[in-house]
Amino acid sequence: MRICRGARPLRNVVGMTQTTPAAPQPRTARPPREEPAIRFRHAAKSFGAVRAVAGIDLDVRRGEAVALLGRNGAGKSTTISLLLGLEEPDAGSVRLFGETPERAVRAGRVGAVLQEGRAVPRITVCELIGFVARTHPAPMPVAEALELAGLTELAGRRIDRLSGGQAQRVRFAVALAGNPELIVLDEPTAALDVEARRAFWESMRGYARRGNTVLFSTHYLEEADAHADRIVVVDSGRIVADGTGEQLRRAAGGSLVSVDLAGRPTEGLGELPGVVCVEVRGDRARLRTEDPDATVVALAGLGAVRGIEVTAPSLDDAFLALTGSRPSRPADTIPAGSPR
Amino acid sequence: MITAYVRLEVRRTLRDTSFVVFGIGMPVLMYLLFTNIGSGADTGDWKTSSMVAMAAYGALGAALGTGTGVAEDKGIGWLRQLRVTPMTPRQVVIGRALTGSVTVLPAVAAVLAAGASVNGIRLEAWQWAAVALVLWLGALPFTLLGIGNGYRLTAQTTGLVNVGCGLGLSIVGGLWFPAELFPHWLRSLSDFTPTRRFAELGQSLAAGGAPGPAAVAVLAVWALLFAAYAVLSYRRSARTV
Repeated sequence: MRICRGARPLRNVVGMTQTTPAAPQPRTARPPREEPAIRFRHAAKSFGAVRAVAGIDLDVRRGEAVALLGRNGAGKSTTISLLLGLEEPDAGSVRLFGETPERAVRAGRVGAVLQEGRAVPRITVCELIGFVARTHPAPMPVAEALELAGLTELAGRRIDRLSGGQAQRVRFAVALAGNPELIVLDEPTAALDVEARRAFWESMRGYARRGNTVLFSTHYLEEADAHADRIVVVDSGRIVADGTGEQLRRAAGGSLVSVDLAGRPTEGLGELPGVVCVEVRGDRARLRTEDPDATVVALAGLGAVRGIEVTAPSLDDAFLALTGSRPSRPADTIPAGSPR
Repeated sequence: MITAYVRLEVRRTLRDTSFVVFGIGMPVLMYLLFTNIGSGADTGDWKTSSMVAMAAYGALGAALGTGTGVAEDKGIGWLRQLRVTPMTPRQVVIGRALTGSVTVLPAVAAVLAAGASVNGIRLEAWQWAAVALVLWLGALPFTLLGIGNGYRLTAQTTGLVNVGCGLGLSIVGGLWFPAELFPHWLRSLSDFTPTRRFAELGQSLAAGGAPGPAAVAVLAVWALLFAAYAVLSYRRSARTV
């Protein structure tokens, strides 16, 4: 037997993000303005018959660190191409700091690590970073960019003779060199080993601490959870969820509270606080809940605590629930408590 | 901004061993071989005109090589990375063309130096300067051809096509063997090649005369064609690299 409450639109999760902690103070050189760092409005992009991005709405405030999470082919790279002005949207609009991406890039306000970049042959780290800095109106000192990316020791080395991890740090330094306000990283750690990955995120945090905005794409959940204030889950070219890791866990159906019924009737269990779904197997009730604490307290009030057990869903569960079995369902119809 | 880009790309080109060996060393070697093996008594003029032709050949190779570099940069994602710097695609392509102009110089200078030192060619100072100048400026159409190929084709294809263009234009244009030795039909064809007219600019100056209007006209037509080709290729792909 299974009784579930009506679908809870995921928009709630989107709404909750408005209350995430305030952004760090922007640098004094560039006074804060009203426009968000990133604003997508109904942006769509198709390649032939493939709808790579099927209508995205997204606001990223200045100072936020946002992860774009999705499987391969979910539309992450196309979203980033739109964001950087490398592709024009077929419909809708993309604005960075209230300007077109092209203008923002020309003004040196954006830095990027692209996915398909190989080492530029026959130049040294220092020459490359120096060059990129000179193309920007207000770059950071080359030594500082090298320091931040952990490249000081390698400044005189030729890029085509570096290891994979070192070359990736060079690409990060390229993105930093212009001292941009927004940095965009397309799967920045895909080719890195554990040690290099750790060093990379340390560098990125150093940059984010200065009050800059960071957006990165990844298909590693742990990475998104650990390094972003906010996770935007993309699937089939749409945003299917948007919130903190905690909010995503809840959106996917929340925790599971199971308890022995001990002959007790099941009526009313579905009305307990937080409960969105009740499932009875033999003499045991499994309550899917958005608020496990309140549910447990209420159960205790009924005296139903025998064999009580609370299981938190993993973020993996949440991710699969949000993307796995329903690849084409629009964001606002995914029920919070739907079965996996 | 463009200066910084040109400096970077020139460095990269000059550090390319194959460019130094084949782009600079090869024309010098071929020049010295062609003018010192099996030579008869009356070789003074041939040594001078071959010097200019081989310098033109070196310039041609370097100019086309610029396009091969563009295709490589497209392949490794460097052009795409440049699109997320404040440089515009137009500045990138202009920077590349300027890079081509700069890297043409060592090839030209090396062959002229070999002519003066090894083959003992004596010209007036203004003639040396004028020959170097026309070979330098006259290489621009070939840079545009190379860039057109580079934007349009993949790295591998561009390499092959540019080498093919280089060989074909050099041979038919009489840069290796004087067109005077060609059969009549090939000679008529040769007169319409940009390479023949390119070398002719320098050869007339080295002989103490001024370049003929026909040479300038033919080269100008080719320059326009190659420029149009480069612009079309660039328009087609500069925004999608």
